[in-house]
Amino acid sequence: MAEHPSDLRTPLGRVRFLGAARTGTTDAWFVHVTSIALIPLTVGFVWLILDLLRKDYNGVRAELARPIPAILLLAFVLAGIVHMELGMRSIIVDYINGQSRAWALAANTLFAALLALACVYATLRIAFT
Amino acid sequence: MASSDALPGPRRPRPLSPHLSVYRLTMTMAMSIVHRITGAALYVGVLLLAWFLIAASADAATFAVFSGFIQSFIGRLVLFGFTWALFHHLIGGIRHIVWDSGYGLDAPLRDQMAWATLIGGFALTIVVWGVGYAVR
Repeated sequence: MAEHPSDLRTPLGRVRFLGAARTGTTDAWFVHVTSIALIPLTVGFVWLILDLLRKDYNGVRAELARPIPAILLLAFVLAGIVHMELGMRSIIVDYINGQSRAWALAANTLFAALLALACVYATLRIAFT
Repeated sequence: MASSDALPGPRRPRPLSPHLSVYRLTMTMAMSIVHRITGAALYVGVLLLAWFLIAASADAATFAVFSGFIQSFIGRLVLFGFTWALFHHLIGGIRHIVWDSGYGLDAPLRDQMAWATLIGGFALTIVVWGVGYAVR
């Protein structure tokens, strides 16, 4: 207040239109949460892939149908896709401005959603058929 | 900040993120850029995982198409790149968590951590590919 003795506007009036702060930390928070989840999940995923290298079609399906590999894979895919959607979102808002930003953000979310759906469906289909 | 900075009405131009041309390149900056590039590469690379899972959920002939690609030279090259991007991004991510917790920010250590990311990413990639060729 004392810094602006002649300013009739409130602190809110001065910061409006300077940019969004509303849910800005939510994305950063989930990037961190998923990144922590992905540390052990990535180790498990790489372990699983190394195991699958030795197997043929039937062997791969039998391995992925077991509970622990299936759950590990689902967790890795879901945490990974949420993480990459948020990461690409921050790349988009850094480099793309104006109307095309909205299209890019929508395309990013739809791509991630479709990819997650495809991976989860395929994993469950292997596990249950 | 002068009060004239916050004039009402249309938005004044917001600061843009890429400041690559105004700072000399440091190791931490280089690894920050590579972290973003590997992240973007993994974004595309997940399509490979999706292809693998969809092929495995379909019939043996469909899986053979994926299997044939991943065992080809191009397929191995893509998978090698994916492996490196994954490990580099993994170690870089751990480094960022450490930094975000307020540790390792001092001058010698932060550069050592940046170098460790680069070396560790290549080292883990080579070790895992060595194991991969040994077990199959």
